[in-house]
Amino acid sequence: MVIGDYMLAGLMAMLTGMDRVALIQFMISRPLVAGPLTGLVLGNPLVGLEVGMLLELLWLGRLPVGAAIPPDDTQVAVGATVLALSMGPLIGVSGMPLLILCVLVAIPLGKFGQVFDRLARQVNDRLALNGKKALAAGDYSGAERTHLLGLVSFATASLATAVMIVLCGSFILSLTAPFLIDAVREAGLSLQYSLILVGAAVLLGTINVNRSISLFCAAFVGTLLVLWLR
Amino acid sequence: MSIVLARIDSRLVHGQVLEAWVPYVNADCVVVANNEVAGTSFQCMVMQAAVPSSLKLIIGTLEETASILSSAELLKKRVLLLFSKSEDALRVRQLGASFTKLNLGNMHSSVGKDRYTCTIALDQHDIEKLQQLEDQGVSIVSQCVPADREQNWRKLIRSGVRSGYR
Amino acid sequence: MKEIRLAWPVLLRIFFRSFLVQASWNFERLQNLGFFYLLSPGLRSIYGDSLSRDVCERHSAYFNTHPYFSPLVAGTVLRLEAKAHAGEETTIDAETYKQMVMGPFAAMGDALFWGGLRPLAALIGLLIASQGSLWAPVVFLVLFNLPHLLFRSGGLLLGYTQGLRAIETVQKCRLPDLALRLKESTIILIGVLCAYLSFKGCEHQDLSAVWGFVLLPVVLLFAWLAHKGVTSLFLVLLTTLSLLLLALLF
Repeated sequence: MVIGDYMLAGLMAMLTGMDRVALIQFMISRPLVAGPLTGLVLGNPLVGLEVGMLLELLWLGRLPVGAAIPPDDTQVAVGATVLALSMGPLIGVSGMPLLILCVLVAIPLGKFGQVFDRLARQVNDRLALNGKKALAAGDYSGAERTHLLGLVSFATASLATAVMIVLCGSFILSLTAPFLIDAVREAGLSLQYSLILVGAAVLLGTINVNRSISLFCAAFVGTLLVLWLR
Repeated sequence: MSIVLARIDSRLVHGQVLEAWVPYVNADCVVVANNEVAGTSFQCMVMQAAVPSSLKLIIGTLEETASILSSAELLKKRVLLLFSKSEDALRVRQLGASFTKLNLGNMHSSVGKDRYTCTIALDQHDIEKLQQLEDQGVSIVSQCVPADREQNWRKLIRSGVRSGYR
Repeated sequence: MKEIRLAWPVLLRIFFRSFLVQASWNFERLQNLGFFYLLSPGLRSIYGDSLSRDVCERHSAYFNTHPYFSPLVAGTVLRLEAKAHAGEETTIDAETYKQMVMGPFAAMGDALFWGGLRPLAALIGLLIASQGSLWAPVVFLVLFNLPHLLFRSGGLLLGYTQGLRAIETVQKCRLPDLALRLKESTIILIGVLCAYLSFKGCEHQDLSAVWGFVLLPVVLLFAWLAHKGVTSLFLVLLTTLSLLLLALLF
């Protein structure tokens, strides 16, 4: 990857990051979309899609409600995609084992997102005060401009998260990849599936329905029977 | 009847309560104890529209709530009890509602209140009321959503003011 | 004085501004500035030069609702403001209305969009993605955003044309029940996805598909743990470490 690629990825990190809360909420911030989009600007959307798939369900049940801030799964997806495309050639690993390694390294680093997101909202506290002052002074357009400045704090927080994930991720990967890669190759597909299954289980556990267990069991058993007897 | 969660939330019925807490504590009945809301039919209607028909919602004044809570109607229900401010919680408790734990969710800031966490702002009046509740054996914790860490309110107060709104 | 009607371009501007309602989301007042930003074109055309600080202050007070519901609230609020400006009495004024609906609307939106539609669309996307198709994100976005955009635009029009009565229409839609149906569909799809992955896993390991049933209690156990508040991060670490250990041992 060249400098231009990193800048494009940074742009993507900001765009998808703003979509989480501040701008439109068109859901390009979901890993299933943010991953392929980042992959697309870097020339390999399929890598992003695989990353997005592994991450999509893990925090899907964590609602962006009120002041509760979930881990930044958007930047985890963006960061893991960038890591996969940039570190692969350097550490001499490719394919699914590489993706899994990148995702595993990026997931805990998503904590940075929570910290930066909180900071952004605290910066916005100042904006709220300034906006109030502008209104009190009768400067209505000024208040509107102050409001839009909030986009900058959210975009900066997202970019910072992505940068931290990529920087720390690269460091950790270059240290641990040689030791882990054989085990990851060995575990292979089961590791990939188990990540998605963990996500599915978490979503199942957090969804708000009375009959969820019986519905789930019926669907599971039914589908598996059909696939088995087919 | 069992009160599975008693919570102070200035926003009363909203997403965090219905989407996060109701499934977490397995509540099948939400009771809102608030004089202003109970007195406004429009607001009662809006709140009723927000809950699914599988979940029972009761809105009452503080006195009404206290008597409903001890009536036979809610005998088999798992109740989530909501207040909008600390004095309401104290009043209902004094009227006989038997909760031993009180959750502080959102207590939004206004002039004269100091913010202790991102979502909790208290003034001296609040602290006194909470203190009285604690003296009656209620353990008071702050936890916005189940995924957050539960924290004793004493710790918040001791860790000091994050920021005040002036 | 006659009530001022908002022109189409003004309503359109409000619709587009609703995409930015959370741009300055903050812990002090949440969407306060955002809501003022959203209303501003409407307030200006209603009040013109006589737009007072009072009006602005009451619409930049503490406010927070589901972002997709903000056009609906804005529509009703502008209608109420127009009536107030014309000297017409309403049972509830704009400020009270805002305070009354924000919590319940937030609950409805969270249940319908975040809890209901989004997981459902994501699971459909995921099932497509498991075939390696790049259509997955496209299908997800379309499935989610068609209702989303319809709701935003319809909400603004409904709120503006019906004023306070919009709430009756909202009530008739029984949105929380619809959300429950969506969630139940999501759970069925989770079951399908898990079964499919188990089947694929067994196939890959040259095992009979019967072994797939072993995963059912495991998934249920994890779901229970998640329900009890165990974080995704912990569950991921637990799973990967044990799988890596197994891979190293055998």
